[in-house]
Amino acid sequence: MTGRPAGRPLVPAYLSTGGVARPSRPQLERLSVLTRGDAPVPAGLPAAALALLDVLEGGALALVEAAALLRLPVSAVRVLAADLADRDLVLARAPIPPADRFEPDLLKRVADGLRALKH
Amino acid sequence: MTALPDLAAGGLALGTLSAFALGGGLLRLRRRDARRRAEIAALRTQLDGSLRAFTSEVEHLAARRVPAAARQVTHPHVDVPGPLQPLTDGTPLGRALDDVLVAVQSEVAAQRTRVDAAAQAGMRGATREIQAALYRLQDALRRLQQRYDDPELAQTLFALDHENEQSLRRAQVAAVVCGAWVGLAREESHLVDAVTGGQARLAGYHRVTVHNHLEPGTALVSHAVEPVAIIVAELLDNALRHSAPDTDVVVSLEHVHHGVCVTIDDAGLGMTEDERRRAQRLVAGDDPILLTDLGDPPRMGLAAIGRLTRQFDLRVDVSSASPYGGVRAVLRVDSHLLSRLDPDEKPPAASAPRTTRRPAPARPAAPAPGSGPAPAPAPVPAPAHGYDAERTESEAAGHQGPAEDGLPRRRRRTATAAPRPAPAADRPARRPEDAAAALGALQAGTAAARSAAPHPGGQHDDGTTDGGTTDGDGRGTEGAGPTGPTRPTGPAQPAGPAGPADQDQRAGRSSAHEPTDHEGGAAR
Repeated sequence: MTGRPAGRPLVPAYLSTGGVARPSRPQLERLSVLTRGDAPVPAGLPAAALALLDVLEGGALALVEAAALLRLPVSAVRVLAADLADRDLVLARAPIPPADRFEPDLLKRVADGLRALKH
Repeated sequence: MTALPDLAAGGLALGTLSAFALGGGLLRLRRRDARRRAEIAALRTQLDGSLRAFTSEVEHLAARRVPAAARQVTHPHVDVPGPLQPLTDGTPLGRALDDVLVAVQSEVAAQRTRVDAAAQAGMRGATREIQAALYRLQDALRRLQQRYDDPELAQTLFALDHENEQSLRRAQVAAVVCGAWVGLAREESHLVDAVTGGQARLAGYHRVTVHNHLEPGTALVSHAVEPVAIIVAELLDNALRHSAPDTDVVVSLEHVHHGVCVTIDDAGLGMTEDERRRAQRLVAGDDPILLTDLGDPPRMGLAAIGRLTRQFDLRVDVSSASPYGGVRAVLRVDSHLLSRLDPDEKPPAASAPRTTRRPAPARPAAPAPGSGPAPAPAPVPAPAHGYDAERTESEAAGHQGPAEDGLPRRRRRTATAAPRPAPAADRPARRPEDAAAALGALQAGTAAARSAAPHPGGQHDDGTTDGGTTDGDGRGTEGAGPTGPTRPTGPAQPAGPAGPADQDQRAGRSSAHEPTDHEGGAAR
C-alpha cells in the first residue's frame, strides 16, 4: 500500500469509512488543503476520523498528504474529511492554483512603457 | 409209561417258561427301543431348535447389530442391540458374535478416517488455489483503490474488496480445517490491527464495536498474526450470526496476567448445554477433525479455531454465558506470542480503534523513543488553537507546563525554535560603531600576528583606531581602498565593499592554494 511489497495491509480501507466512498460534499479535491477547525472533538468519532484529526494537529495538509500519512486511499480520506468538515472539526480550502506564467507580451509592453516614462 | 406224560408236561412247562422269558425280553427290548426313539426324536427337535436359534441369531447380527455397530462409529448415541437369546451371553458363541461387532467397528472407523483424509486433501488443494487467486484479486482491487478516487468507482471498489474479503475468509477457513497452513505470512503487527482485520472480513462488521484497553504498541509475533485474525473473525461471525441484527457485538482487548485477552460478547440467544459442550470440544482442538462430523453444509468455524488453537498454542473458551445474554467467547494470547512495536515508528492502522489507556503514565517512562510526531499530548493545548500566528506561542505554552509531575518532557521542534527571537531582539542594542570596532580589532589582530611586528601595544591601539576608520570608510565605500592595502593580508572581512586590489589578492591566494586543491581533485 505504501510501496512496500512485503506487508499486505491487515485492515482494509473500507473499514475506515464503514464502506462509504461517496463524500457528503463534492468539492473536496486531491489537493484541497485541510486544517484543523477549532470545534472541540466530540466523543464517539470513528477511529479513522480521530487519526485524521491527529495528523492535522501538526499543521495544514493537502488531502493527498493526509491520505499518505494515514496509509489510506484518497477516496476514504475524502469521505472522512467531508464528514469532519460538516462538523466544523476540519476546515477545507480549495487547492492553491498553480502559478501561471506571465505573458511575455504583457511584460514586454510594461517594460516598454516604463522605458518611455524614463525618457 | 407214566414217564412220557411227565416228560411231555415237563417239556411243555419248560417251553412255556422259555417262551415267557423270551417274550419278556422281547418286550423289554421293544420298550427300550421306543424310549431311545423318543430320546432321539427329542434330541432332534432340540437340535432343530438350536439351529434355528443360531440362524436367527446370525440373521439378527447381520440385519440389526452390525449396521447399528457401524453407525455407532459415527453417532455414538446409537445403541447396538444385544443378541436375541440372552442365554448366549458369555458363551463362546456370544463372544464370537461380539468379536464380529468389534472388528466391524474398527474397520469402519479406519475406512472413515481414510476417506475423510482423502476428502480433506482434495479440498485443501482446491481451497489453496482459490485462496491464492483471491489474494491476487485483493492486490488488484487495492491498487485500483489507490489509483482512482472517483467516488462512484471507489464505492464499487470498496464493495468488491469487502466481498473479496468474505470469500477469502471462507476459503481460508476451509483450508485450515483441512489441515492447511493459514496461507499468508505476515510481519509483526499490532494486536488491535489483527482484531480489526478480522472484523473487516465479516458481512456485519458495522455491528462490531472494539474497545481497546491495551498498552500502546502491544503487538503479535509474526506467525500469530493471521491465526488471531482468523479466530477473531470466526468468533465474531458466530456472535453476529446468533444475535439479532439490531444488537451490537462488543469486543474488548485487555491485558491479563499471562498475556492478552480478546473478549467477544454478543447479546443473542446463547447456547444450550449440549451445544456449549460440543463447541468447547471443537474449539479446544483435542480431537482429530473429520469433515463428516461437521454437518452438511459443514460448519467449519469452530473446527478451524480448534486447529489453530492447537497449532499456535492459543486458548479459546466459549463455555461461559455473556452478561448480555448471549455467548462470551474469550481468546487468550499468551505472552510468548506477544511482542512490542513502537507506535510512533509503526503506528497501527488508521481505522483501528485507539487505546483507552491514558498515555500519561506510560510516556515519561519511555521519553527517548517517543519522537517528534507523537500527537498524543497535543489535545491539551488544542482548544486554544487558532492557526499559524498563535501556533508557536500556544505550543510553547502547552509544552512548557510539565511542572505538574516534575518530570522532564520532550519539546517540539517549534518550541526549540522559539527562544531564537529573544537573542535576536537583544542584538539591535549593539550599535554599528561597536560592531565595526570589534571587527576592526579582529582584523588588526590577525594582521599584526601575520606581519609578526614586534609592537604589540601600539598595534592594538592602531587596530582599534584603524578599525574605526575602515568602518567609517566602508560606509563611504571607496575610502577603504588605501587603508586596506596597507595591511598585507588584513582585508578579509571588509573585502565585500573593498576594491579590486582585494580581489586580486584573494585571487593570488586562491591561486597559491590552487595546486593543492587540484591535487585533491585529481586524487579524488
